[in-house]
Amino acid sequence: MATKIKSRALQEFQEATQCLVNPALQKWKDQGGRVIGCYCSYVPVEVITAAGFVPFRMRGTGSTGTDLADTCVSSINCSFVRHSLDLGLRGEYSFLDGVLWVNSCDHVRRIYDHWKRKIDTSYLRLLALPKKNEQAQIDWYRDEIRFLRESMGPHFGVWISDDRLWDAIKLHNQTRRLQRQLYELKKRKNPPITGAETLAVMVAGTAMPPEYYNGLLKELVDELSQSKDGHADHRARIMLIGGILDDPAYIEVIESQGALVVTDSLCFGTRNMWGEVDEKAGDPFTALAQYYLYDRPQCARIFGDQPRRSAFIKEMIRQFDVDGVIAERLVMCDNWTGEQFMTGEDLKEAGIPYIRLDRDYVNIGAGQLRTRVQAFLEMMGR
Amino acid sequence: MAMDKETRRALMVKGLERYRKERDFFKFLSDTLALMPDEEMQLSKEVTDITVDRYDTIIRCAEEDKPFVAGYFNAAPEVYTAMDLPWYLIMQTPFLAASAPYLMEDVDAAEAMGLGTDWCTACRLSLYYIEAGLSPPPTCMIGLLHPCDAATMLHQAVVRNEKWRGIPMFCTDPPYFEDQRGIDYFANELKKMVAFIEENTGRKLDLDRLREVVKESNKQYELWAEYAQLRRAVPCPQGWGMGGPQCFAVSQIFQVGQPRGTDWFRRLVSITEKKVKEGRGVIPKEKIRYFWFDLLPFGWCFELMPWLEQEWGAVMVMEMFGFTPYTPVDTRNEDTIFKGLAKRNLYESPMVRQARGIADYFASDIARVVKDYKVDCVIWPGHMGHKDGSASTGIMREICNELKVPYLHIGLDLFDRRYTTPEECKDKLSKFFGAMGLG
Ligand code: SF4
Ligand code: SF4
Repeated sequence: MATKIKSRALQEFQEATQCLVNPALQKWKDQGGRVIGCYCSYVPVEVITAAGFVPFRMRGTGSTGTDLADTCVSSINCSFVRHSLDLGLRGEYSFLDGVLWVNSCDHVRRIYDHWKRKIDTSYLRLLALPKKNEQAQIDWYRDEIRFLRESMGPHFGVWISDDRLWDAIKLHNQTRRLQRQLYELKKRKNPPITGAETLAVMVAGTAMPPEYYNGLLKELVDELSQSKDGHADHRARIMLIGGILDDPAYIEVIESQGALVVTDSLCFGTRNMWGEVDEKAGDPFTALAQYYLYDRPQCARIFGDQPRRSAFIKEMIRQFDVDGVIAERLVMCDNWTGEQFMTGEDLKEAGIPYIRLDRDYVNIGAGQLRTRVQAFLEMMGR
Repeated sequence: MAMDKETRRALMVKGLERYRKERDFFKFLSDTLALMPDEEMQLSKEVTDITVDRYDTIIRCAEEDKPFVAGYFNAAPEVYTAMDLPWYLIMQTPFLAASAPYLMEDVDAAEAMGLGTDWCTACRLSLYYIEAGLSPPPTCMIGLLHPCDAATMLHQAVVRNEKWRGIPMFCTDPPYFEDQRGIDYFANELKKMVAFIEENTGRKLDLDRLREVVKESNKQYELWAEYAQLRRAVPCPQGWGMGGPQCFAVSQIFQVGQPRGTDWFRRLVSITEKKVKEGRGVIPKEKIRYFWFDLLPFGWCFELMPWLEQEWGAVMVMEMFGFTPYTPVDTRNEDTIFKGLAKRNLYESPMVRQARGIADYFASDIARVVKDYKVDCVIWPGHMGHKDGSASTGIMREICNELKVPYLHIGLDLFDRRYTTPEECKDKLSKFFGAMGLG
């Protein structure tokens, strides 16, 4: 689907997805700024921002092989893990001043163990993320976030005060608001931006200094809001759901068949910005834990939350007038195998067209993907 | 919404059909073992007898509409004994009856149902049994969120299942690191689990009774520790056929905190002690002492393990289930009991101990076992479900390099012999032993 917009901001976002260190981040580094890597969207980036650093969501962008990682992990581990670890082992992440993890899945949590042993990054920490989200777990995660502040402060010689945390929360809430405004535009009959372009906007948001990103995003949202142009040449409006997907090229292939991705449940998508951290809560740690672990849409790994996740998907389908749902997952990912199965059963009960796709992190498999999407559209009568 | 009586009855009829078949399978095993007078065979027979009794109890409860639970070992099973509540594992078929004739058909049927084939076969099968109505519906369920993603997803899928939706489920949340904060947190999770069971079964937990049960289970673990020490002997008194899996099954599933289980442990220790004193090994000429760092290939162990002994004189001196350094639970008061149970079930229980937290935990276990058990090589079978373990293979290799002990990663499915066939495994093992100058 050809792009309809000529936007400086969009172009910068798209370029940022093609590399690890985009020009804005490079400038930040050149000025002596620090950058902290985050494995998984459950890392509360506000703490990093409050420390005066830039949070960077870990990716495997640019990786062409996994030779080094393959000496650490095995072929039954997901390809995102293998590629991002490989980049780490090759020194491509030497621009990071620290890396944070949560024990998000059996694959990612082991990168922490390898990184600790093999890669020289001065600050590494894993936050123990619960697998349920009742009050006791929110309290637990609140303390994990507090301990993170207490550990980062002395290590980097900075004091992350409550006030600075509140400021960071407001800043990231602003990002979330702008991103939701962008998604609002996709509710239009002829959305002004494609799914692939949207993903680029979202990915860039995890790799740039937040103030800078917000400025650029506002520019884009304003441009698009005023534009009357839109994508009318689609055969169906699609919702995309799954785990880590940071490559717009994957969605480009889907959209090349006329399946316009109008919304998603992705951790580089709505799951990272639906709702906001409560700025009026009693303390910033409780506010963050509540948002990350409960208020926003949750990841497959959270037990007891599946009915809410399913309800979120159905609500998105309603709000964005979705015709069919595509679920993607990286081969070997247990979390998304289970989730795809459950979502499939729920959508079957609700009579919503649904297809499950497996993929590799680097190799999109464009030919097969095109065929599957085409068949799906035909099955939907589109 | 609770499950209505009619649905429950229909599910029960079908679920019990398969359940009875499984019971009969173990009965057949018991009868076969009865013909073998050897002391160790009789010890195995006691385990299969206990298994049959357990199946019978669940069947009786189902027929008489009495409460029974679907629960787990690494969530303080002492509680069930103390509450006099029969329980079974929804994952038991792949683990217990894995050599049952219908296993391969079940694996294929699970695949046809659309359950991803790179998902742990044990989980796939367990979900299939529920989706296909082959498990008896319990009064309530305790699920498992550790050690792996697959288990977490399985239990989410079970509560989502259209028919089982009405069966309440509780899962304890496992903290990641080993520290006092984690123990305190998990102890609270266990207390919530008790409240959940009480509410859903109408049974009450009596603290004095729990203390009695825990004291008895402490004795079982002490005996297990004594037994584990005896296996350090050269030659090793027992191989793959007797040891960790049985100790685990008796102390954590079939006879938790019950005197019959303690007696079984006493017999095990006494038989093994005698063999050690007499310098008798499990095979006439022990040549290789290996550490099998995973579960046994339950689905096809008879095709591989005896071959290792016969062909290579290779004896499994230790495996993942067998190396579990249990600490006695302090039974002074409710607080000490629950914290003790939390520690045992989170940091010591097999599989959870090795797979749940950071790599340092299993790394130190490998180093200990290699030294204490005079191990000649470490084999990481690499079950296809154990993604965390396979993601650690480099760390395992490095530890072994430091200890100057050869290391092999196979890559197989513990339940499905077609993934890596026994022949392929034998080939890999032979090449490995040959190249390392072992045997
Ligand atoms: S895709 Fe799955 S296996 Fe890979 S990192 Fe994400 S959750 Fe883990
Ligand atoms: S992956 Fe391992 S620990 Fe998890 S369910 Fe399968 S056999 Fe059990």
